[in-house]
Amino acid sequence: MSELLNNLIHDARIWQGHQQARTKHPAESTGYPELDQHLGNTGWPVGALSECLLDGAGIGELQLILPLMQRLSAARRTVFWVNPPYIPYAPALSQAGIELSQLVIVRPHGRNDVLWTLENCLRSSVTGLVLAWPGQLANRDTRRLQLAAEAGQTTCLIFRPRQAALQSSPAALRLELTAGQKQDLQVRVLKRRGGWPGQACSLTRE
Amino acid sequence: MLWLYLHFPHLLLDHVRRASQTPGATVIVSGSPAQVRQACPIAQQLGIHPDMRLKTALSLAPEELAVIQPEPNQEQVILEQQASWLYRYAAQVVPHSPDGLLLEAGSLLRLYGSLDSLWHTLEQAVHTRRLTARFATGATPKAARLLAQTSQGVRSQDTTLLTQAIGQLPLAAAELDVKTLERLTRLGLTTLNEVFRLPPKELARRLAPDTLAYVQRIQGTRPDPQHFWQPSHRFHQQVDFVREVEHAQGLLFPLQPMLNELEEDLQWRQADTDRLTLSLTHRDGTTQRLSISRSGPDHRASTFLELTRLRLESCPLASPVTAMALTVTRFIPRRTPSAADLFGETADSREAWQALISRLQARLGEPALQRLTLNADHRPECAWSAAQVHRSETGGALPALAGQFTRPLWLLAAPHPLQQTPEQWLSGPERICSGWWDDNQVQRDYYAVQLPGGQVAWIFRDARGDWFIHGWFG
Repeated sequence: MSELLNNLIHDARIWQGHQQARTKHPAESTGYPELDQHLGNTGWPVGALSECLLDGAGIGELQLILPLMQRLSAARRTVFWVNPPYIPYAPALSQAGIELSQLVIVRPHGRNDVLWTLENCLRSSVTGLVLAWPGQLANRDTRRLQLAAEAGQTTCLIFRPRQAALQSSPAALRLELTAGQKQDLQVRVLKRRGGWPGQACSLTRE
Repeated sequence: MLWLYLHFPHLLLDHVRRASQTPGATVIVSGSPAQVRQACPIAQQLGIHPDMRLKTALSLAPEELAVIQPEPNQEQVILEQQASWLYRYAAQVVPHSPDGLLLEAGSLLRLYGSLDSLWHTLEQAVHTRRLTARFATGATPKAARLLAQTSQGVRSQDTTLLTQAIGQLPLAAAELDVKTLERLTRLGLTTLNEVFRLPPKELARRLAPDTLAYVQRIQGTRPDPQHFWQPSHRFHQQVDFVREVEHAQGLLFPLQPMLNELEEDLQWRQADTDRLTLSLTHRDGTTQRLSISRSGPDHRASTFLELTRLRLESCPLASPVTAMALTVTRFIPRRTPSAADLFGETADSREAWQALISRLQARLGEPALQRLTLNADHRPECAWSAAQVHRSETGGALPALAGQFTRPLWLLAAPHPLQQTPEQWLSGPERICSGWWDDNQVQRDYYAVQLPGGQVAWIFRDARGDWFIHGWFG
């Protein structure tokens, strides 16, 4: 039995779940080693959509992307905030070491304008990161954005309510964010490329 | 001296017809009772010809005759537009109202090599602008003008040949006033040559001193000083539509040649611009002004056409448009492109940045895009401000009030009353008491707290003891 198995394994005729090939998709490290590990040692996918599903602000959702924003703004790449629910507070962002001159807040009205803006930002070569609070999104729209992100090789993070988790989505990465009891952020991976979902980790907030 | 005259036999008609994609039968009328002054080829096929009564013309083409009644100074404006492009070919241009442009050709011969090449260059320029012009050279300005108007254009720099040509001109074509013409005809004179041979004294005594002066100016024996045209410091182009334009899409076709003209003009000025003004005149005489701006200077027609398209899409026409004018007053000298500046920013990336921002601004409006800046103020709502995004300026040293207290990443536009009891008090109080100088005095104690849902909020208690949420630690 074991000899037979060994032979099969030796011939590489059996695909083994724990020996996953390293993903070749380009990615940007999240800045949190624990989370990176759960994402197959990669990070935020570049040239694809990522979804963050959360219910209310103030659970550390921006803290999660601060390291990425910091890195991109230092590299003089523009970070677009499309329809943020509140005012991104400049003194706090500056304190976190983010170059304010690289941030552009865009507030389009109406669903068509929002999608048009997102697509244009995603396709441009100057864009480093697009953060979007698009409200209602049909599956078709998400696919359009996914294609735009692929074309522009940009990172795009979409913030949606948690109930959107029930909907399927073409996004490459889906994370569910909830607040922990000790002012920490609970991250659960709902979907990722080249690996199993379901990992969860807790990130401490500063 | 050699002069070259460009006579536009139907300038107004050309001007109106080139603005429409499918021009129909068009006539220009004036006077009362209205008479046809210029008729386009399609109208002429229908049997309409100049000097016909408008009523007759309308009965010949009852259905689709577009009738244009020019405004008093419209021809002058259109002629100036032609002068502005001709100025790129010749330094000394004189507009002769209403339909001619004179230029001094003698000094250009060395530049262009020969009269023939100058002639062809100008013919080409006239042709690309879809205009009709008749050219003629002359030894004097008046002679050139008369020769150009009588369709047999003379192309020569030989003085004797030119004198001969002007001498053979029939008197009827010499622009003499009716009375003088009649008296000269009665004398049995038919060509200018015969008038030239008359003794000047007798001509002045029997006719009028003015007539003698005019004849001598044609001949070149009396000076005829010219006022050369100076280009204006702004770019202005206007189109008038035969039929009203009802859709924004219909404006793009006539806009294309205007923007091409602008591109060429900017090329000649060695300048760029970042702001165009488009004035749309409506049927009821009101004017709608659209300003199209780009976040960085540019000169290409394609860029501006794209931005205008986006701008027109977001702003529907209030009513049908009868005329459109493009004005540029802001000229920015071009800078030589360098490979990379101090911050390692290449021309390409700056270009892409400006293109993206301009596109967004054109569609969403300029206030929809903001950039964050810091203000030196202790009041949280005054410690930041939104600035317009203009160009990719590199942020200088920004003022910041260093504090040991952390600030939330989200700020609420207006404080929201606190409705839940905090579960945990994380930091505070931090007293902010400021603003006594501008009637916006605040006295607040700020705390960071954890609410029952796990959210971390930035709350404060004001002087009256009420609690508000002012931010979220996102």
